[in-house]
Formats: sequence, C-alpha cells, structure tokens
Amino acid sequence: MANERDVRGVGRRLLRRSAQGVRRTVARRPRLVGYLAVIGPGVITAAAGNDAGGIATFASVGADYGYKLLWVLIPLTISLAIVQEMCARMGAVTGKGLSDLIRERFGVRWTTFVMLALLIANGGVTISEFVGIAAALELLRVPRFVSVPVAAVAIWWLVVKGTYQRVERVFLAMSLVFLAYVVSAFLAHPPWATVLAETVRPHFELTPVFLFSLVAVIGTTISPYMQVFIQSSVVEKGVRAENYRLTKIDVWLGTVLAILIVFFIVISTAATLNVHGEHIESAQQAARALRPLAGPYAEVLFAIGLFGASMLAAGVLPLATAYSISEAFGFEKGVSSSFREAPIFLGVFTFLVVLGASVAMMPGLSLINVLLVTQVINGVLLPIILIVVLKLVNDRELMGSHVNGPIYNVAAWVTTIIVSALSVLVILSSLFPRLFSSSR
Amino acid sequence: MLYLSQVLGRPILDLDGERVAVLKDVIVRLGEEDHPPVAGFVARYRRRDFYLPRWRIAQFAENGVRLNSDKLDLSPFMRRDGEVMLARDVLDKQLIDVDGKRVVRVNDVQIIEADDWRVTGADVSLTGLWRRLAPAFMRSGRPVEVIDWADVGYLATDAATVQLKSSRGKLTRLHPVEIARLAEAFSYQHGAEIVESLDDETAAETLEEMAAERQAQILGDMDEERAADILEHMSPDEAADVLLDLPEDKAEDLLNRMEDEEQSEVAELLPYADDTAGGLMTTEFVTLPRELTVGEALARLREMAETPNMIYYLYVVAGEGSWNLTGVIALRSLILADQSAPLERVMRTGIQVAHANDDATEVAQKISEYNLLALPVVDELGDILGIVTVDDAMELLLPKGWRQRLPRLLS
Repeated sequence: MANERDVRGVGRRLLRRSAQGVRRTVARRPRLVGYLAVIGPGVITAAAGNDAGGIATFASVGADYGYKLLWVLIPLTISLAIVQEMCARMGAVTGKGLSDLIRERFGVRWTTFVMLALLIANGGVTISEFVGIAAALELLRVPRFVSVPVAAVAIWWLVVKGTYQRVERVFLAMSLVFLAYVVSAFLAHPPWATVLAETVRPHFELTPVFLFSLVAVIGTTISPYMQVFIQSSVVEKGVRAENYRLTKIDVWLGTVLAILIVFFIVISTAATLNVHGEHIESAQQAARALRPLAGPYAEVLFAIGLFGASMLAAGVLPLATAYSISEAFGFEKGVSSSFREAPIFLGVFTFLVVLGASVAMMPGLSLINVLLVTQVINGVLLPIILIVVLKLVNDRELMGSHVNGPIYNVAAWVTTIIVSALSVLVILSSLFPRLFSSSR
Repeated sequence: MLYLSQVLGRPILDLDGERVAVLKDVIVRLGEEDHPPVAGFVARYRRRDFYLPRWRIAQFAENGVRLNSDKLDLSPFMRRDGEVMLARDVLDKQLIDVDGKRVVRVNDVQIIEADDWRVTGADVSLTGLWRRLAPAFMRSGRPVEVIDWADVGYLATDAATVQLKSSRGKLTRLHPVEIARLAEAFSYQHGAEIVESLDDETAAETLEEMAAERQAQILGDMDEERAADILEHMSPDEAADVLLDLPEDKAEDLLNRMEDEEQSEVAELLPYADDTAGGLMTTEFVTLPRELTVGEALARLREMAETPNMIYYLYVVAGEGSWNLTGVIALRSLILADQSAPLERVMRTGIQVAHANDDATEVAQKISEYNLLALPVVDELGDILGIVTVDDAMELLLPKGWRQRLPRLLS
C-alpha cells in the first residue's frame, strides 16, 4: 500500500488546493489569443489577391480609364466578400476542402471538368507571377533570361526542400511596399470630387477593349484560386461552425482592405499617367505612379513590391493547384514525398513552375499584355467555380442550417450571372472582333 | 466480377424483359463479415426512389438487373440501420486502408458473386477513375489496385448510422501514432468519429499524438462521460493541457467526472502556465525512500500495480511518505548494483533540478544539454512535484516541420 502512495499520489495532498485552482487557472487563459487565432485567413487571402496580375490590371485600368472604372470597386467588394465568405463557411461547417466537396458531391466527371478549369486558371496566374518576376528584375537591369530561370529553380527547390514557408515571410514583407500607393495617391493630389463622383457613378462601354478590362478586373479580384485557398486555410485553422462568426468578420475586413489598396492604385495611376494620356506598356511606366512619393526611386520601390508579391504567389499557386488536384482524385500528396511516391502531385507542381517560367522567358513578349490576358482567362473560368460553390453551399445535407439566406443567394447569383455574361461577351468579342466595334 | 460504376444507371427488367426502372444504388448490409453482402437495390422510376429487396432479384450483371417476377412492388425507399448505399456513401468518399496505413479515395467498388453478391474491395486506381470517365471502348482491361474490403478500417461517410462495426478492431491493428496521422487527414467531424470508435486506452494514446487544438475539439464535442474516461487514460500532463484548451465550464465538468486518483493528478498540473516547467511536467514518476536496499527497491517496482511510463530514473526521497528529493538512481544502476546495498549508497546526489516556474524552453535545453531522459521539478522546499520527460522537451525544441496538408498561404 505504501509504495502505491509513493508512486502516484503526488497530487493527492494538493487536491484541495488545486481543485480551487482550476476555475482560476482556466479563467486566466487569455481568450484574446483564441480570437486572434481565428482571424487571419480572410485578410491574408484577400491581400494575396494583389499580386503581379492585380497590380498590372489596376495600374493599366487607372492609366487607360482614369477614374471612370472606380465604380466597379463597390459591387466588386460585395461580390468578392460574398464569394469568399461562402467558401470560408463551407470550410468551417464541413471541415473539408473545396476539391474534396466537389468530388464527393458531384462525382468524377464534374470534378475532372472543374479541376481542368482550375488548372488552366491557375496556370495562367502562375505565368503572370513569373512575368511579374521578370518585369520586376528588368527594372533593376537584370535580363529575364537570367532572372526567370533562377527564380524558377529557387522556388522549386525551396518548396520541395520544405523551406519555402520560412522564405515566404520575406516575400510577404516585400509586397507590403504596395502600401506606398496609398501615400502616393494622396501626394499626387487627385481631383477628389471627381474621384468620389466616379466611385458611385457607373460607366459602361460596349467595346471589346472595355469588356476586356472589366473581365480582367473581375478575374484578378475574384480569382478561382482564392476560393480554394480560403476554404483550405479555414479548415487548416480548425475554424468551426461555432466560432465561425469571427471568420466572417475577417473575410469582410480582408476584402475591404484589399479593395481599398486597389482603389488607391487606380487613383495614383490615374493621377500620374492618365492625365498625360499615357497607356501602360511596361513596368517602367507602371512604376511612375509611385513617383509622387518616391521620386527617382519609384522604379526600385515598385520592383521590390512586384518581386515580393510575385515570388510569394509563384511558389504557393503551383503548390496549391497540385494539392487541389491530388485531393480531388485521391492521389498521394505532400512535398516531402518523392517523385516515385507522388508522381502526379509533384508532376503538376513542376509542370506549372516550368510552364510559368518558359512563357515568361519567351522573347518579344509584352509583359503587361500577358498579365492582362491571364487575368481575363481567370475571369472567363470564374463562373464555373462560382456555380459549383453556389450549388455546394446551398446543399442542405452538407451545410444544414448554414445554407445561404435568400438575400445572400440573390446577390451571389447576380454576381455569377453578370460574370458569366461578361465572360461570354469577352469570348464572343475575341472570336468576332468586329461584333461590337461596328455598333459604336 | 462487377464494378459499381458499370451497373449504376442500368435498366431493371422484369421477367418478360420489360424495362421497369433504372438502377440507382446498391444497398449493402455491414456487419462482422469481411465482405458484406448486397441487401437490395434502390430503383428509380419516374423521379422517385423505390426499394428492391435482394430476394426479388433473379439476375445482377453488367447490363442490368432482372427481377424474378413481373410485378414491381413499389415500396418507397427508407434507409435502415447498418445499411450502406454504395453510390451515395462509398463511391468518391475517403476510407482508411489499414493494410497500407493510408487514406484513399474510392474510385469504384468491386462486387463479386460468391455464395451471394458481396462487396469485396474498393478500387482506388487510376484505371478505376478512367473507367468512369472514358467511353466504354477506350477502357483498358488492366488489372487494378483494389483494397480488400476486409482492410477498410474506417469509411468517411456522412451517414452517421452506417459506421463499420468491425472498424474498431481493424484500426487498433495500427499504432496510435499512425491512427492519429490518418485521423488528421480527415475533416474534424470524421477525425472525431475515428477517435470515438476506439477503445478508451487507444483513443487516449491516439489523442496524445494529435495537435493540441484538435485534442480539445474532439474531447469537447464528445459525450462527457466518454471524454472523462479517455482523459483518465491519458498521461496527466497531456490531459491537463487538453483541459486548459477547453472552455472553462467544459473543463471543470470533465475534470469532475474523472476518477479521484486521475483527477487529482491532473488537477495538480492545472495551475501551471503552459510555458513553464510546471506546465511541461508530468506527475507520473517513481519515488523510493532512501532507507530501502536495492533489492527491496526492485521488489517494490515489481509489485506496483500501475507502473508509470518513465521508470528509467527512480527518485530517492528522504523517507517513507516524504517528497523531499535527495537523489536519483538510474534503473540500470539499480539492476547492476549489489542487492543488499542501501539506496543512499547507490544513488547520485547533487542532481540537476528545475523549479515549477522555470521557463519551459530553458528546461528543455537543459535536458538536451545534459543528455537526460527526464528532469525532476521541485518546489521551494526541495519536494519533488513532477518530472519533465525528454519527449515533451523534444517537442519544444524541434522546429515545427513542413505541414503535410495544404500549406497555409502564410503562417
């Protein structure tokens, strides 16, 4: 009897003391940390949307249309937040990723179709990131035949060796340079009355060029990969239906912040480039929007931001695509696997990196044009993802009481229909170039 | 041999060969058997689902189903307990392959006619995927990778009533570390279901291998009595950590439901903050009074009803019933020493100790520096409170590895 007491009874004499302690200790736990841990995915995903393609699209929109397209940003904020929120909610309620749900609810054929669309869209975005790397380093006088292969090998190596996550923060910090647009916009002294008026007054032209810009704006803002991202990171964070409310705030906050930056990018390019009637053809010109703030260092500043944002996404996008596809089809996945263990996962990842790098190196390529075209591809494929998301989020068996409410559904379907209609128009206008120009 | 994908959507013919409905699903009755038998079919006729019991079927083949009568009994379909619908609950879902220790996705289901039609395996191959995608003439007859249904440890379906009865036994063939890794690959609901399906002991060991937040989530959602039972089987330090991650009311409730002895061990650890030696330590260790001889000490160890995991270090205290730490003996020295020698002569004194409020990382570093398996934690009076073991210390020192799942965009 004695030894049993010796061995295990340490706690017994303290029982009374600590039983009182429980309440105190448990109450002492910092709850705030719990809340902060939930906040995150929405803000981060939305911020990541401002990548090479985003900067290029909004800079050229500002240069070409001045303040005339600012009105798009308000409906865009609402649509983006709604779409992101639906995916975040699905992640919280089901605990599963988007491609998991697509496979389990729609079967193999639909999954194949959606994954193909995602592969193309993400392939396009990956290309745009490598183009961003090329453009950024060309500003610093590094030719793209050097910068792009080095960057591609570095990204591939960092991801496969598992050290990418550590470098990621450096790239993230670099991309924060784009906050400079906010200051630059103020220093450029735009006509604020016009800015405000254009923010609320819709402007529309039925021309191929205008449609192209509009779809690029939508495509770069509500990118298909962002839906996959936010759902996965909500699942990964362990957010659940009970504590979901905070994530909803997080999603809206992130969206508003991201669009606010876009707002200032458009203003600063409009105030510096559009007033001189300049069309953006190169990164040098795009960088000029930062001159009110940085003067002669505008190009360097722009290059740093663009490089950081592009490197960040160039690593994450191919990886996320490979994960989505492997998840949907049940292939072995994980960066720590070998080619023999996970051929398709590593194959997709490598293919996208190589594809992005090769296209970005093609001689005589207009970098800004590539950036815009890839965003349009994104926009054209967006309806496919949106329809799938809407079907899933309204599936009562899956979501229970967390399905969309009626107003939400109307807003989401209106978004989907408008985006689809615009996509069809863009496809038509590129197939039949004279379709709209004659009506002008 | 049939594949589910080949028979779905095929016509159901009556005795005269008249097409009466379309095959929508195959119902299987799960039980103790390795290969569960087909119990019936779901037929679809005019946008409604009907149930066809097995005995009404005369023929089941690639080109469809034939009834044994010319009457179609239109009883509406209702799922019963223990029944699984192959198309709805199995196809495209994930399951645990116990043999391969991995999570796979079902591309097709294999049905073989032996004494009866039975589900024999889950096709997880690319060929299975291709069979469902490609038109018939492009399909290859290549042999496929099929997981024997007997090795299916867990089926991640949303139909709560159909959990495999035999899955508990199959999963426990795996090491808790493996079960934890597999459970974490599923959604939190399914992960919780897996843990719940295990016996208390295995569930406790499995939980200990999972991420802290996940442990708290799973135990927090579980039936309180069951959660308390599992907590009792966990090591006190792990149990205390979980309780601290739970909401206050929940933690108190679970603690109160635990047996006295385990409760007191856990309760003692609760007041310490996470990042201190107290938060890191466990109360499972062996103390021996200094006046014993080596032989008596060994005899005591053998007599112990429940031996703590950590008995490589035996802590020598000032006397019977005392907690005052005076020395330590490694189990190896105890075995090698002269049986009649008193412990005081064999023990080492002047040992490394930590205090309950010491920084956890520093304590961990000390353990690794001095190559210890454990470090005792003492209070101001020199009484031993607990020990920090090397495995807990390691967790603190090792950098968090690259996550296997979809990486966070930024962490």
